[in-house]
Amino acid sequence: MSALSRELAIVGVGYSELSRAGSPEPKAISLVAAKEALADAGLSGTDVDGIFEYRFGPESPGAQDMARLIGAPDLAAFGDLMPTNPSGLGAALAGAMAVASGVCETVLVFRCMTREGGYQGGVSGFSDPVLGGQQFETPYGDSGGILMTMALHKQRWMYEYGRTEEDFGHIAVNARRWSALNPRAVLRDPVTMEDYLSSRSIVAPLRLLDCDYPINGAVATVITTAERAKDLRQRPVLIDSMTYATGSRVDWNFTDDFLYGGTRDCADRLWSRSSVTASDVDVAQLYDGFTQVTVSWIEAMGFCGLGEFGDWVEGGDKIGPGGALPVNTGGGQLAEGRLHAISLLNEAVVQLRGQAEARQVPDAQVGLVACGLYPQCGAMVLKGG
Amino acid sequence: MSQLEDAATNGEVVDLRPPPKPDEITRFYWEAAAEGRLVLQRCDACSRFQYPPELVCTYCQHEGFEPTEVSGQATLYSFALVERAFHAGFVNQVPYVLAMIELAEQPGLRMLTNILDADPEELAIGMELELCFDAIGEQQLPQFRPAKVLR
Ligand SMILES: [Zn+2]
Repeated sequence: MSALSRELAIVGVGYSELSRAGSPEPKAISLVAAKEALADAGLSGTDVDGIFEYRFGPESPGAQDMARLIGAPDLAAFGDLMPTNPSGLGAALAGAMAVASGVCETVLVFRCMTREGGYQGGVSGFSDPVLGGQQFETPYGDSGGILMTMALHKQRWMYEYGRTEEDFGHIAVNARRWSALNPRAVLRDPVTMEDYLSSRSIVAPLRLLDCDYPINGAVATVITTAERAKDLRQRPVLIDSMTYATGSRVDWNFTDDFLYGGTRDCADRLWSRSSVTASDVDVAQLYDGFTQVTVSWIEAMGFCGLGEFGDWVEGGDKIGPGGALPVNTGGGQLAEGRLHAISLLNEAVVQLRGQAEARQVPDAQVGLVACGLYPQCGAMVLKGG
Repeated sequence: MSQLEDAATNGEVVDLRPPPKPDEITRFYWEAAAEGRLVLQRCDACSRFQYPPELVCTYCQHEGFEPTEVSGQATLYSFALVERAFHAGFVNQVPYVLAMIELAEQPGLRMLTNILDADPEELAIGMELELCFDAIGEQQLPQFRPAKVLR
């Protein structure tokens, strides 16, 4: 039994083609992902009574657009989740709550990002006076989404723990070790530690290979009850526990815990509600919008002590193919491509079904997915059915 | 023609940085800054300082504050070197240092700032800083620079 009020299963996963070039129509690729996820589950649009999607702006069709496209007869719950959520996993968390509560029976969740219509994160161009919390950030040139905060975070991390950039480089190298085994990944060439350390500066000390890779793509997932899942096409993957977290004194820059944000609260609550512990995890999908986010999650989740990642990771082998804790087995946002991490959920599901082919982690039974950082954390523990 | 193109044509440097727009919660802060003082909210109930200003004390949720001037003594908590502008308002500013500093008054009392009058190569976390001000539009922006007299 999980701590949820109804037992939940993830029963379908779908992807559009992931591409760096071109400018595909967001609606079109979202529909491809949605239809693939429904077909994977053995369901159709008429079975769907809830839709949730995560978005920054016009890069994605809305939940109601999707309902029309797949022919959902009516929606008992829906949501277009704006960017304070735990990244793309936010849509799955909301969808899971809708089913667990009994409001919905079967929900479709998705994230679509295109390079043309999508949020580029980096560039803004107005000199108009800034309002609210931005009064204390933007006049100093803290812009470009979270890039600057990530640079400050990386610098402080190295100082507090007396570590070097190599710690983060292990995450960049690891992404390509796995993506080489994932035909869907957009970046599949290996990178070395030397490549990482010589990659160009974005905002020093943040480097190009610390950052995820913008692509065009859409990912969809279908969630229903464990009861309903018994009659569906795939071996179900059960949600053992899940939670969001913000951390205390909620903020990106002025939160209490500048190194971990909400990740430690998220991990503590997740494990307190789970039937398993960190030592039971066979495969971990940990957000890698920036390399240091993955490091934060590994430490927060208790796989090693705080500040101990660099020694724990065994030169990277620990988290790579054949390692004791395979991490981001599809190549993640750094190499499979930037999809705001709903793709990490799908990768965990595929691993727990035993369908990951060349990158399959042998006998994977327990999966961990964690997403976001600072006040935008969310995580799930998944178990093979 | 845009302000930026104007500037390029005339060969002058125009400050395109977006200034703060004070509101009911922040007006005291910017009014004090205009007088060359760094004044923060200090909670009537728990006596903690907080930054940035908020409607309530974010430590104890009390709603009353004494606006209190702080010393401006600070240490460098973290810093980043911005060599490319990610905002059109900063094309004339690069390279610049964006920093997080910790004020001497209270552990964890951090502010974002630029570090002025400093060679980025000489910056080190923990170094002592002092308050200075920087005109932005018709307002004064609290800023920090390496301390001239070490404490
Ligand atoms: Zn208080």
